[in-house]
Amino acid sequence: MSIFSIQLLTGLAYGMLYFMIAAGLMIILGVMNIVNLAHGTLFLISSYIAFTFISQNVGFWAALLLAMAGTAILGIIIERLLIKRVYGKELEQVLLTFGLTYIIADTAKWIWGTEMHTIAVPALLDSSITMGSMVFPIYRLFVVLVGCGLALLLWYFESRTRIGAIIRAGVDDRDMVSALGINVGLVFTGVFAFGAALAGLSGVLGGPLIGIYTGMDSEILVTSLIVVVIGGLGSWKGSFIGAILIGLIETFGKVWFPSLSMLIVFLLMVVVLIIRPQGLFGREVA
Amino acid sequence: MKKNLLIMFLLLIAAAALPFIVSEYGINLAAEICIMAIFAMSLGLIMGYAGMVSLGHAAFFGIGSYTVTILGSHLSNFYLLILGSIVLSGLVALITGAIFIRTSKFYFLMITLAFGQLLFALTWQLKDLTGGADGMKISSTMNLGFGDIVSPLGIYFVMAGAAILVYIFLRFFVHSPAGKIIKGVMENESRMKALGYDPRIYKLLAYSVSGALAGFSGSLYGYFNLFISPDLTNWMFSGQVMIMVIIGGVGTLIGPAIGAGLFIFLQNFISTYTERWPLIMGLLLVILVIVGKGGIIHWFDLLRSKIFYRRSQKRMEYAQNHAQKEEVTN
Repeated sequence: MSIFSIQLLTGLAYGMLYFMIAAGLMIILGVMNIVNLAHGTLFLISSYIAFTFISQNVGFWAALLLAMAGTAILGIIIERLLIKRVYGKELEQVLLTFGLTYIIADTAKWIWGTEMHTIAVPALLDSSITMGSMVFPIYRLFVVLVGCGLALLLWYFESRTRIGAIIRAGVDDRDMVSALGINVGLVFTGVFAFGAALAGLSGVLGGPLIGIYTGMDSEILVTSLIVVVIGGLGSWKGSFIGAILIGLIETFGKVWFPSLSMLIVFLLMVVVLIIRPQGLFGREVA
Repeated sequence: MKKNLLIMFLLLIAAAALPFIVSEYGINLAAEICIMAIFAMSLGLIMGYAGMVSLGHAAFFGIGSYTVTILGSHLSNFYLLILGSIVLSGLVALITGAIFIRTSKFYFLMITLAFGQLLFALTWQLKDLTGGADGMKISSTMNLGFGDIVSPLGIYFVMAGAAILVYIFLRFFVHSPAGKIIKGVMENESRMKALGYDPRIYKLLAYSVSGALAGFSGSLYGYFNLFISPDLTNWMFSGQVMIMVIIGGVGTLIGPAIGAGLFIFLQNFISTYTERWPLIMGLLLVILVIVGKGGIIHWFDLLRSKIFYRRSQKRMEYAQNHAQKEEVTN
């Protein structure tokens, strides 16, 4: 029983990490119509940035903010300098972001090497709560809380603010939004930077849980793509629930069927696709 | 058509003459290029003629090479092994394609990517069957019915022959009625539906043929490299094939093959000087996307149309000048 609840907590924590990164991926795809293959690499680079700052004795929290800001700036540069030139050309966008994964990942390999790094759990959260016979690491609880808080915040932005309305409208009908006099270019840059910052947040928070290693970017990208497919476009709710599902399935799958956890995740995606091709909470968009 | 025949004839001569020009290293490289050309042509078929962009095509390549290797320890008939991997990868493409093609463009891309990674994970995790991260050695040797083929030259000729066969097959396929319908579906799906064709069947046909050919190239790669590892199914490899298709030119048959040649050549050439090939490849790709106008094949077309454009412009200027002169004389 105690192992079960700890697994549950771990699964939820992983799910929250997936939610953070998939939410960014989903909104970039929904608004800009771009499958950002470099999204996993942004996650990776953010962990490395935080790792470097922390090893220079900058505190965890300052490193978190710096890494998020760094990833957001990188996102802005990528969007303004490169992606802007290929708006509306699907194949070119795919290739461009694919090229970026090579550039960023190989540069990271160059700078930080191929050995595995870890980020230490911040001192404030480096303890655990004991409940009866169960021991819960506080850091995992913290990640779950951050994820839930982010979901609430995003839900508030989506349904209660003007920016949220613009973004929702952008998912449904991009041309109409620009016809209404809204600066679509600015919205796109903002969305891309925001998505990158979310990947950055996920990367730093994931550091103490997953570690940092080459090849991690591919794994996280694939997982978040599956989350987006399962959850559907145009709603944070879908990404949230999809991410929790995947986090739980992966964690429990690794315990019960160690060699088939990926297969179960994939089969779930196939089932969702057969029943609801637009995803669990997706709106029908082109 | 006559021009195409001429090009094919020239290619044949080039393929036959190549071994007499280059070193043994070059022959090996050429054999690898032929295999990758088949792989790239198979992806080029669905990308250029059916409008399906897949990022999981390495899955079929992997299925082909693992089939040959795993079955090869029980069976030694070259033709049966190759046939087995073609059929198996084609079947997997048929089954998965039936689910995948229900989705729109971006979803298709993401799902094929996920499928490729699924196979990647399975090749890692099913250690007893696939050898896991250590990979596998292929035990059977290539034998077309007249003795084992082990020399680089022999292997090259087999691979070149296979590449030419695949090219000819694809030419027939693309120009067949089914091939034309597939292209029609890509250009205007609702119109083809109105004409009474079921787009899904034709998309699925293209996807299955493409998967089977990718499996074919994978099985040849097994014989060529004698060692296979899970990396053959990784999505980065799928992406590299996509780059080959794009460098060469989407929407043509020979373009992807040329792209494969250039890619493999550059990869080998640059890798001898620096470890940073991935970085350089990424940069080249980004530059190609930002400034490039289509692939190599399209550059030739562009060049030709520019020359013709100039000529016709001159003619127009000439005509205008004449018209003015006539006005003056009047």
